Order: sequence, then structure tokens, then C-alpha cells
Amino acid sequence: MDDAAAIRVRDLRKTYVVSEREAGAAAALRSLVRRRTSEIAAVDGISFSLSPGEVVGFLGPNGAGKTTTLKMLSGLLHPSAGDLSVLGHAPYRREKAFLRQITLVMGQRNQLVWDIPAADSFELNRAIYRIPRLEFRRTLEELTSLLELGPLLGKPVRNLSLGERMKCEIAAALLHRPRVVFLDEPTIGLDVTMQRRIRAFLTEYNLRFGATVLLTSHYMADVEALCRRVLVIHHGRLLFDGELAALVQRFTAHKTIVVRLQDCTADLSAYGEVVSCEEGLATLRVAKDLTARVTERLLADLPVVDLTVEDPPIEEVIERVFAQGTA
Amino acid sequence: MRYLRLLWTFFRVGVMGELAYRANFFAQLFESLLELGTAIAGLAVVFSYTSTLGGWTPDQVLALVGVFFLVGGAIRLMIQPSLEQLIESVRDGTLDFTLVKPEDAQLLSSIQRVEIWKLTDVGLGIGVLAFALVRLGARVGAPQAAGFAAALIAGGVIVYSFWMILATSAFWLVRVENILMVFQSMYEAGRWPVSIYPGWLRFALTFIVPVAFAVTLPAQALAGRLTWQVLAGSWVFAAALFTAARLFWRAGLRRYGGASA
Amino acid sequence: MDGAKGGVSGLPGLYAQQFKTSLAMMLQYRASLVIWLISHVLDPLVYLVVWTTVSRSSGGSVGGYGAAEFAAYFIVLMLVNHVTYTWIMFEFEYRVRHGSLSFALLRPVHPIHSDLADNISSKIITFPLILAAAAILAMIFRPVFHVEAWAAAAFLPALLLAFGVRFLMEWTLALAAFWTTRVGAINQVYFIAALFLSGQMAPLSLLPAPLRLAATILPFRWTTSFPVELLLGRVGWTDTLTGLCVQAGWIVLCLLLLRLVWRAGVSVYSAVGA
Repeated sequence: MDDAAAIRVRDLRKTYVVSEREAGAAAALRSLVRRRTSEIAAVDGISFSLSPGEVVGFLGPNGAGKTTTLKMLSGLLHPSAGDLSVLGHAPYRREKAFLRQITLVMGQRNQLVWDIPAADSFELNRAIYRIPRLEFRRTLEELTSLLELGPLLGKPVRNLSLGERMKCEIAAALLHRPRVVFLDEPTIGLDVTMQRRIRAFLTEYNLRFGATVLLTSHYMADVEALCRRVLVIHHGRLLFDGELAALVQRFTAHKTIVVRLQDCTADLSAYGEVVSCEEGLATLRVAKDLTARVTERLLADLPVVDLTVEDPPIEEVIERVFAQGTA
Repeated sequence: MRYLRLLWTFFRVGVMGELAYRANFFAQLFESLLELGTAIAGLAVVFSYTSTLGGWTPDQVLALVGVFFLVGGAIRLMIQPSLEQLIESVRDGTLDFTLVKPEDAQLLSSIQRVEIWKLTDVGLGIGVLAFALVRLGARVGAPQAAGFAAALIAGGVIVYSFWMILATSAFWLVRVENILMVFQSMYEAGRWPVSIYPGWLRFALTFIVPVAFAVTLPAQALAGRLTWQVLAGSWVFAAALFTAARLFWRAGLRRYGGASA
Repeated sequence: MDGAKGGVSGLPGLYAQQFKTSLAMMLQYRASLVIWLISHVLDPLVYLVVWTTVSRSSGGSVGGYGAAEFAAYFIVLMLVNHVTYTWIMFEFEYRVRHGSLSFALLRPVHPIHSDLADNISSKIITFPLILAAAAILAMIFRPVFHVEAWAAAAFLPALLLAFGVRFLMEWTLALAAFWTTRVGAINQVYFIAALFLSGQMAPLSLLPAPLRLAATILPFRWTTSFPVELLLGRVGWTDTLTGLCVQAGWIVLCLLLLRLVWRAGVSVYSAVGA
């Protein structure tokens, strides 16, 4: 395997033992005597490796195993089986030298202390990570300008809006210039502008500091904006590992044609599957190999004002990947 | 050493945050003075009928009250708020943030929150203690003072370890806050010298909820009634309980991280 | 929004319903009930030990109370205190702050009824437990009782009236939450006063005269101490009758006060908005 890898995972598994019980008093009594347990595989044998400086997205529906994998990579969970190495360390040993080089950001959960200004929480992190004063000030200045934190630092965290809080959270997590950054659903619950701003920051940060970034999300937009490489997880298994573009290529059998007409009176079902038609804007789903022909016919037959050919929304692609994975 | 520096940073940050809220200081002062007044009024009523309580003179019991406030204040200053937050963080998953930091998680969890205004309790306790010491006068010399310090340290370690064990049970139990409240009620019994209680209650207040170690023993040292055997015993107990708390904590972390037993 | 006396005809049915829901809820909140139970046993126990220690070092008795009499006093006090206690002063502030009071105001019945039902239903669950604790303490501390038949007969009405006084008084005091958030200070002053003046710290006859007077003029003696003194045979029968009348008088007074304060409070609350 690749020796220069920042993260190396081989056949990683995490199983949970759950006790099953049906509802009702009789079943409750029965469960006192004999406990029926079953094993649930949250992560069912995944392997991949990341080179230093890569920005990779972990994509999957809720319960797919992405957060579990992330927690194993950051040392919070013990793997049930498999090999795992991050920056040459076994994460679950939680060695101080390891922890000093990683960081964790979780969407909708704060590490910042609620009642005090963010700047004070930064002080605490400085002490914990033993960051020399000069270096700390320099890093803080950079982060403040990149994230536009200026007016926010003096306010108690509870007075900040959700988006402002997230920016401060991210800054707090990066004060010690970690080599590996784990982000678990970082943009969840934020408005669109803030989501875009944070994505832009993460891209900039990766370019400037060369940190390896692993991000989980169920927002396609996060992954689209940030990651060239995508790992798709479902039911604890890796369904796809490669470039986003390749993902789209492989799993789409269709293209979407968006046509602007005068109105919706014409019957378009002959050209392809009509997804929608509203005030003259029609969306059609057409088999990939038929796209060129259908486009020709549309232009010839109808008074087309505008026409575009698009890849299907990535959500659809992903759904396809999941559907195939469960099959 | 390093840990002390970290402790100081957390303390400093906690203080800075609260300094702006002077109203809270006065509210706390009012509350603490009322509590102290109640304790002293109770003493006054009791001692209007007798000159000793189970062998304790009024000034000795006053010293006990001083230690009670001092220790109670110290607990409510950092230990209680931090461990209450620990219990919550086990439940809502923010413990993950603590675990991902390159510092001992038990230490971080124990110092993470400071209720700075509880210092008034500590201050009042010291004041009452000093007053009682003046009245006890010549009878308190260097050996008593040394015994007092030693008993206080052992008592502090015991109370901290006890709280730590309670808080660690949050890894297994769901509603631990209620158990903490039980401690509060039992701690109140420490306002009187534990030696007056019948044997079974004394046992409970020594080994089940270690109030005796925290309050009565240091006061006994000041009154010159503490034998070195008992003091040594308290240190042994302190070391044992601290170790037990540490082992229990490690077990709790293993459970939290889903390690197979 | 009706006062406590509105819609009397529908009340029995309402209470029956309320009891069922309260009982179910109390079974859920077992843990908090246990906490109250522990402090209700521990607090009198501590003072019991303190005072028996005092009596032992003072030649066997203090102010007409020997060790056995102190045991009797504090064990009965424990039971009476448990029967008459409420927790409404803590809860009301929570309601006002979190706006849950608004829901209560929307219902066609005064919220005091559901609080009363909650209170009684919780005690149905916990009273057997505290009775058991009292029995155990009795075995350990060997109390001695001097009870006369008429006093025992008058005990139950005195106890119920005491509960009435205490419940109404504490419910009215709880309404302070309408005007301030710092009810903690008010509660603290009240509970300290109650500690001394309702006989929880020591029998009232042992307190200095000014405190004894204050306890009798204020409702405190009538919320807890009076039924205890009665059962222990320390009140003559004329004083008993007077006492019962005073209790009844305090209930009427508290009801009037409650109406006034409630109306004022609700208008403040609705003006500010939940």
C-alpha cells in the first residue's frame, strides 16, 4: 500500500450488538430470561487510503456509516476489526502526538464554551494544544481574515447566530494547524450563503495549509464544491471511490433536457419522460444515447426558445448508486 | 507543573467571563450570607441549652461550620459544575470534543467549568474559620494546623473522587443528575459533627457519601481531636478512592468508545 | 380565566381525571420524588440526633423534651411535613420563564387544580414509603407518645387544615415569578423562615420568645408545628379549638390574597407576552 498515505484504512469493520425485543408485557418478561441479541454492522469492511493534502467527501444517507467511520478515524470509537492508520498512528490509542495533529468539527455541536466570548475559548485551546504565543497570534490573524471573524470574537457565543457560531467553531478547531481535518456534516442547518462561505473557506484553507480534509455530508452541494474525490457509503459498505465526475458518468443512464417553449400545451411524451412542465419550461428525461436525436427532433418540431442538456441532479445519481448497492 | 498551569488558564477564563456580571456577585453574597446566618442561628439556639455538643464546644462547632462552607464552596466552584457538564456531554455527544484533544480527558472534564461567584462561600468559610480560630486561641498550634491542612487535602481528594465516580456512572446510567442531588441533601448533614450521629448514619456519612472526611475530620484536627492514625487512614482511603475513580473512568471511556470489554 | 371557585359542579369529575394523569406522571418522575423523600427523612433525622445529644448532655431533658420526646416530635414532624409540603415555588418560575404557563392559562380551569391533584397524587405514592421510614426510625430511637383520644381525633382536621394553609400560601408566594426572575432569593428567605418558625429545626417552645411570637402571628406555626404539637399532647383543648379556627382563618385569608395576586399577575404576564 501507499506508504506516504496520510490515512490508510483496510477492511474496517464496526459491529454493534443490539438486544431485540418486541413490544408488549409478555415479550418484556421473556427478555428478562433470555436476551435475544443481533449484530448490526455499522461499517462492514471498507478500505481506502488518502494522500496528504487531499480533500475527500464521504457521501451517504443517514445511518450509512460515515459518521461511524469518521469517529474511528479520529480515535473516538474502537474498530471491531480491520487495520486503521492515520498519520502513522492507530487512532484508538489516542496518543497525544496523534491528537495534536488532528481536529474534529461537528455540525450542530459546539466545542465553544457557551457563555464566554469565542476569543476566550480560543485561549483555552491555545493552552490545551500548547501553541506558542507568536504562532497562535499569526494563525488567529489568518483565520480571522479568511473567515471574517473580526466583530464576532468579543461577543459571547450564545449571542451569535448559527452561521457565525459555526465560523468560530471552525476557527477554534484550526488554531493548532492540524494536518488532518475531520468534518462531520459541517454545513447542516446553515443558510445557503453561509454554506457557500464555509465551503469557500475550506477550499482556501486546504490550498494554503495543505491539510488533508475528510468531510462527511448528505448535502451533494458540499461535496460538489469541495471534493474532487468522493467515497460513497451505504449500509456500511463502500459503493464508489473515485472522482466525482466519474461517478456521474458511470451511474447515469439518462440526461436531462430542459426546454423553454411558449406554453405547456404540446404533448412531449413522445420525446422522452416528462418530469415537469411549468409555464412553458419543460424538463425531460432522456436515455443518454438518444440525447442527440431527441434534441434534434425537439428543435425541428417545436418553437423552442431555449434548450439545455444537463446531467441529472447528483442527488438522483446518488440514489441510483444506493439503489444499486442494496440490490 | 503543567496541570496546574492548565487549571489556572481555565480558572482565569472562567473569571474573566463573569466579572462583567456584578449583580450575580451580590446575589450570591446575599444567598451565602443568609445560609451562613441560618447555620449560626441554629448553633445559637442549640448552644443556648448546652455547653457542649457530643464533646464539641461552641467554638469548635463554629470552626466546623467554617470548614463546611469552605469545602462546600470549593466543590460548587469547580468540581460540581464541571462534572455536571461532563454528565450532559456524555449524553449529547460533546464529550467527543474533549476526547479528541491532546490532554487527559479526565482532567479536562474536571476543570471545564468554573462558577466563580462561589468564591464568596469559600471566603465566608475562611472568615468564619479564622474567627473561630481566634476564639480557640492558644489551643491551636502548628501540629493542629498541619493536621488540618493534611485532613483538608485528603478530604478534598476523597470528595473529588467520589463525585468523579458518580459522574462516570453516566456512561452506564441515563439520569445521573438525580443522584447528584442526593449528595446535596446528605452533604447538609455535615454541618454538625459527624461523631454525634448513631453508628450506622456515621458510616453512611463517611463511606457512602464522604462528608465526614471533607468536613468533620479537618475540623477535628483544628480542635486537636484527630489522631494521626485516623489521619493516615484518611490518606490511604483518599489514595484508594482516587485510584478507583481513575480505573472506573477508564472503563467508562472504553464503554463510550465501544471497545470490546 | 376563572378564580378557584368557578365551575364548582364540574370539579369532582375534573379531579378524578386529573388524578389519573397526575398519577401516571408521578410514576414517571420517580427520581425527583425519591430525592424529596430522602431530604424529608434526612433533615428531621439530623435535628433529632442533634437535640437528643443536647438533652443527654443537659441532664436528660431540655425544655420539657427528653430523648424519647424529641424522637416522637421529629418523627411526627417528618410525617406532617411530608403530608403538607409543596414544590410549587420552584416550579412556577420555570413555567413563567419557559412559557408553559400560557398553555395552562388557555385551559378553562384554574391551574391551581392540576397542581393540587399533582401534589396529592405524588403523596399517594410516597406516603407509604415515608411511613415505613418513620417506623424504622421509631424502632431505632424509641419515641414515647402521650396521646389523648380527643387530641388524636382533632389531629386529622388540623393536618388537613395545615395542608390547606401551606398549599395556598406557597402557591401565592410562587406567583412572585410574575414580577421577578430572582425568585431564588425569595424562596430562600421563605424556606429559612419556615425552617425556624414552623418547627422544623426545633420544637417552637424551645425557641426564644420573639421567634415563638412571630411563628404564631405568621402562618408558619399553623402549617406544620400545630398538628405535631397536638398529636404529642402539648396543646390543651381550648387552645386546640382556637388553633383550628386560626387555621381556617388563614385559609380564607390566603384564598383572598391568592385571587388578588393571581389576577394582578396574569395581567402583567399577558401584557408582556409569554
